[in-house]
Amino acid sequence: MGFESKREEKEIKYAETRIYTDAEVHNYTEEELKSFKVKHDIPDLDELEKGPWPSFVADAKREALHRSKLPKDKMLVAPDVVEDMLGQLQLSFDDGETHWKHGGIVGIMGYGGGVIGRYSDLADKYPSIAHFHTLRVNQPASKFYDTGFLRTICDLWEYRGSGMMNLHGSTGDMVLLGTVTDQLEPIFFELTHVMDQDLGGSGSNLRTPSACIGKARCEFSCYDTQALSYELTNHYQDELHRPAFPYKFKFKFDGCPNGCVASIARSDMSFIGTWRDDIRIDQEAVKAYIAGDFQPNGGAHAGRDWGGFDIEKEVIGLCPTRCMVMEDGILKINNPECTRCMHCINVMPRALRPGLDTGISILCGAKAPILEGAQMSTLIVPFMKAEPPYDNIKEFIEKVWEWWMEEGKNRERLGELIQRKSLPAFLEVLGLPPAPQMVKAPRSNPYIFWKEEDVPGGWDRDIKGYRERHKR
Amino acid sequence: MEELKKAILDFAENSKKSKFYFKDMEKGVQEKFPDAKMREIKKAATALINEGVLIFFSTGSSTMYGLKGRGMTEDPE
Repeated sequence: MGFESKREEKEIKYAETRIYTDAEVHNYTEEELKSFKVKHDIPDLDELEKGPWPSFVADAKREALHRSKLPKDKMLVAPDVVEDMLGQLQLSFDDGETHWKHGGIVGIMGYGGGVIGRYSDLADKYPSIAHFHTLRVNQPASKFYDTGFLRTICDLWEYRGSGMMNLHGSTGDMVLLGTVTDQLEPIFFELTHVMDQDLGGSGSNLRTPSACIGKARCEFSCYDTQALSYELTNHYQDELHRPAFPYKFKFKFDGCPNGCVASIARSDMSFIGTWRDDIRIDQEAVKAYIAGDFQPNGGAHAGRDWGGFDIEKEVIGLCPTRCMVMEDGILKINNPECTRCMHCINVMPRALRPGLDTGISILCGAKAPILEGAQMSTLIVPFMKAEPPYDNIKEFIEKVWEWWMEEGKNRERLGELIQRKSLPAFLEVLGLPPAPQMVKAPRSNPYIFWKEEDVPGGWDRDIKGYRERHKR
Repeated sequence: MEELKKAILDFAENSKKSKFYFKDMEKGVQEKFPDAKMREIKKAATALINEGVLIFFSTGSSTMYGLKGRGMTEDPE
C-alpha cells in the first residue's frame, strides 16, 4: 500500500519564500574568513579548530562573519549573537562551569513543548545572548526534504534567530539554536502557516518520533518505517504537544535489526523490523560470493587486500547462534535458532534476504543515564504485524502508557519503572506470557518468577517444614 | 469540565509550590473527584492553558504546570 498523506501536501517554493539575495547568502570570501577575528578572545575554542575533524567553532566563525556583513535591517536578532555565544563559551571553559540558565515558561501559546528557554547569566557582558531560546522542529520522516525546504528554514532562522542550527538533534529534530522571546510566535507562524511544519517534542511529552530510511531506500526494511512514524505522529498529537506524562517518552522505528536509528538503545519503545518465516537463500548467489564474483559486504572494507572471501570464517563462524552450515556446497540455516543479528545478510546481500512474512518486534525501556544507569530496551513483543491502520500497535502503546502514567513516579522513565516493579509485573499488565527471548541468558538467569497459578497443576509447599530444616 | 477546572484551580492556588507536576495535580483533583479520569483532567488543564490561566514551565526535559502570575516570571531565576 503506497503512502497516503492525511492532508494536502505543500510544496515549498524557495523563490517565493526567500529573504536573502544570492549576494547576501554568499557575502564573504575565504580570504576574509582567514583574517576574521570574533570580538572576544577565544583561545581554547581556537584550539578546537585544529586537528583532522570538522569543528563547530569553524562553522560558528563562518556564521559570525556572515552575519557581520548582512544588512542590519534583515536580521531581527543581534548581528553579533554568534560572537557573544563563543565569548561566553570561552568564559565557561575558563570558569569550569556553565553560564546558561535553561528552562522557564517561554513557549508557543497552547504548546507544552518544542521550545526550550535559555538565558545567559552574564547578560550585561554578552547582551546579544541574554535570550537564546532553542526551538525543536519535527523533522520530516527519515529526514527527507528538498533544498527549497532547507533554504527556506535557513533564511527564516537567519532572519528571526541566530542562524545557528543543529541538523539533527539526538531525537531527530531540526534544532534551531538561539532566538529571543518576541520572535517565538512569529517563527511558529512562519513554520506552520508558510512551511506547513510542526514543532517537535520536549519536556514531559511524547518526543518527536524518529525513523530510519526504511523502504524508501533500503532493501532490508521489513516494514514501512516512515508510514508508521507518520501515523503515530499524527495520531498522538495531543501527547506530543500537551505534556501529561511522568517524563519524556521516545518512539523510534528501525526497519530491520541493523538498527540504523539505534532504537534499541535510545527509545522507550523501539519498533524493529523482523520476519517470522525463513531467511531467503539464493544458492547460486552464495556460490558466486564463494567464487569471488560478488564483493562481500557490498564492497565495503575493500580498501586493502584481505584475501579471498572465506564463507566459513567470515559468515558461518561468526554466526552468534551457530545456526548456519555448508553441506555439499549448499548453505543451510536452522531458522528457529536465528537471533536476527543480520551479519550474514549484510555480508552477502545478494544471496540472503529477510523472509517475506515481515512485521516488528517491540522492545521497551531504553534510556540514557539520569536517575539509574543507561540501559537497552528489553524485548516485549517478539512479533507483531505492522500494517495500516496499525490498531494492534496503538492498542499496545496505550496499555503501556496507561500503566506508566498510573504507576510511574515523576521523572521516572518507562525502563526505570519496569526495573522497579519487575518485568513480570509489566508483562502481567500487558497480558503477555514471559518468553525466553525476553531474558539475556534464559538457561542461567532466573529473571522470571512463576506464580503458582501460572503453572499447570500448581504446587504444594510446606513453608513451615522448610524453615524447620533450613534456619534463616 | 467546569468542575474539574475549578478543582485544578483550587489545587494550584493552595499548592505550596508555584509549579507542580501533572501527576500531583491529578492526585489533587482526584481527592475531590475520585472518579475523574486522567484524560478528563488533562482536557480541563489544556482548556485552562488555552485560556491563559495555567502556564507550562519546562526545564527542557520535563514539564510542570503553574498558575499564571503566581511566582513564575519569564526568567527561570
